[in-house]
Amino acid sequence: MNPAWWIARKESGEILVNGRGLAWLFALTVIMSVLSLLLVSNTELSLLDNAQVVYMVMGTITALGALFAVVLGADAVAGERERGSLMPLLLTSVTPSEIVSGKMGGQAAGWTVMYLLGLPYLWAVGSSGQNLLQAIAYLALFGTLTVLGFGFFALGLSARFKSVRTALLTSLITWMLLASPLLLGPSLRQSTVGKGFDAANPFSASLNAFDSVVIDSQPFAMQTGRLAVALAWLVLTAWYAVRSVRKMEL
Amino acid sequence: MHRIGFLFLAVWLMFSCGAAWAASVPLEITLVPDASNPPSPRMGDRLKFLSVIRNTGGRPAQGVVAWISLVQVDPGREQPMDLEDWSAHKAVTEAVVSPGQEVTVEWPMRLIQSGNYRVVVSAVERQASNVVTSPFADFHVRRKPTVESNRILPVALGIPGGILALMGWRRYHRS
Amino acid sequence: MIVEIRDLRLVLGGRPVLNGVDLTMRAGDIYGFLGPNGAGKSTTISVLAGLRPPASGKVEVLGRDPVAERTWIHRRIGVLSEQSGFYEWMAAAEYLKWFSGLSGKRIEEAEATLRLRRVGLDGRNRAPIGTYSRGMKQRLGLARALLNDPELLILDEPTNGLDPRGRREIHDVLLEMSVNDGVGILLCTHLLDDVDRLCTHLGILSRGKTVMEGPVDDLLAGQRAAARYRLRVPIPESAVNLPAGVRVASRSGEWWHVELSGAGDPATAWRELLDSGLRVEEIHQEGGGLEELYLAATETREAV
Repeated sequence: MNPAWWIARKESGEILVNGRGLAWLFALTVIMSVLSLLLVSNTELSLLDNAQVVYMVMGTITALGALFAVVLGADAVAGERERGSLMPLLLTSVTPSEIVSGKMGGQAAGWTVMYLLGLPYLWAVGSSGQNLLQAIAYLALFGTLTVLGFGFFALGLSARFKSVRTALLTSLITWMLLASPLLLGPSLRQSTVGKGFDAANPFSASLNAFDSVVIDSQPFAMQTGRLAVALAWLVLTAWYAVRSVRKMEL
Repeated sequence: MHRIGFLFLAVWLMFSCGAAWAASVPLEITLVPDASNPPSPRMGDRLKFLSVIRNTGGRPAQGVVAWISLVQVDPGREQPMDLEDWSAHKAVTEAVVSPGQEVTVEWPMRLIQSGNYRVVVSAVERQASNVVTSPFADFHVRRKPTVESNRILPVALGIPGGILALMGWRRYHRS
Repeated sequence: MIVEIRDLRLVLGGRPVLNGVDLTMRAGDIYGFLGPNGAGKSTTISVLAGLRPPASGKVEVLGRDPVAERTWIHRRIGVLSEQSGFYEWMAAAEYLKWFSGLSGKRIEEAEATLRLRRVGLDGRNRAPIGTYSRGMKQRLGLARALLNDPELLILDEPTNGLDPRGRREIHDVLLEMSVNDGVGILLCTHLLDDVDRLCTHLGILSRGKTVMEGPVDDLLAGQRAAARYRLRVPIPESAVNLPAGVRVASRSGEWWHVELSGAGDPATAWRELLDSGLRVEEIHQEGGGLEELYLAATETREAV
């Protein structure tokens, strides 16, 4: 059996069975629950259209999924190095590509669990059923591309920096920078710089796609540009991760 | 002398009437709900109002601007509504409305909030000094539960609770 | 030849780290690889494992280039490096089963238990590795290194953290592998007792360069051929005329380590030394053992 599969199996076990991974999932679902309860208790928010609420929950799941991926990715190589388990791995016949594939296989398992845990929240807030099925499908598509891209990026940094702390800090800053469209008002995003930033940002591509499909009921054909941005993000970060692991210093 | 005085008075009256006649252009506006509107609209529904702006006067009305206004009329909550989320179609302009010409305008609206509302269309033209308004159109928007609390609570409590139980079971199992 | 290194040189961060390493091993040899801290032992091991390309020199492991054929070599060697971590949440048997899967030859529970028993880890298979002592982790590391039944075993401080009984058990395992299976073992250690008991060959590294290499018996025989003494000279003279046959191997503080060659009476040499004006207050004879061999090879030689 493929070594990458073995590594992915170990990584998945570490995330989903190990106490540390479960604690992270617990924390993330608490955030989702707080958001959902706010939607119920706050009359101001509850006047929003269902579609808007579903859009907010989709954006939150994507952002939290990317955060989880960043934390896992930053530890992927630098953490093994700090714990002394990297050298034994390098002394096997496993190639750098297999190490990256294996580590990302574990991340994919983690995201899958997060996505599945997020579906009940979507169902709970999307009671009118407007575009709920599309929401589930587009969260799977754009969410996966964005989240795994962050995972690859953080893994690449983890291979380049020899410290988990440095890799995590750099990844988190990048995550915050790219997630800033969630916080910036629409007017700021209308400037030339804002538009340029939006055009190359996987978070923006995902959020705009969610808005377009769930709120404005627009078809898939209108999402191809955004899909291209999200795909390009995944491909570039995957290349960066493999190259970083190949070139990492002992 | 009296003849000159009467002449001045006649000229002054003529100009005054003419000015008054110039200040008030008889634009007439009607406002009716569209026949396809739901009879008992709820939050999230879309309504349409139709208005006809007609020049009932003898001279062209120039630079006509007509806009729609919405106020909430629930007792204790009377307030003008910001049409930002309700309507993208807030005003129309016409360069010239000739005497007898009719301009038909549709006013689509999305119902964002529940309550009792009054909508009115107003219009001005360049030379007139007054605003012309349509009759009011009143409507009621029913509340729609956008988020069902009987769904949220089990999910919000159940999912983190389930993970916590899994963590506890795992710790017990290992020890 | 399972390992052959000739004049290996390596520069790291602009600094020459290996300045001419020589090492030759045959199947079945237990090769003691000694040297002070920072001498370049671990770096040499990383070159052998194909993790660092050499700047120059010849390096062959099992007849192949370790950089070009790293994957092939990794399937046939086992390495226990000094920094040897595990996944603390896994149990030992589970870990061995998982690790064996990386090379495509996954073992089952029964075999994992057998391998753990061989290194003295019977009875703790199910406990998480995080609960293991240092010595137990060291044994597990050895079990991991033996997973692919290697032709060459490279061990960096394998008996670290083990009590005397544990060390003896590991020695027995290594000796059995060397004698019965013909496995070559490259042993990096500071424990000269281990070298004494196990090693057939010895290589001493100092400042990135091999200063001594060969069969242990031959090296020790050469050591004993020269009688060695330790002299206390409180007020050393800056220049001394040494009698013939007397050589100062090294000095540390007041103590001079002196070799007398030739078959003459040492008393004659001492009389001549005292007559030359040197004030000597103590004279002790030293054994010709491994420690002296190591110290002689690695201490700074000062001109007298």
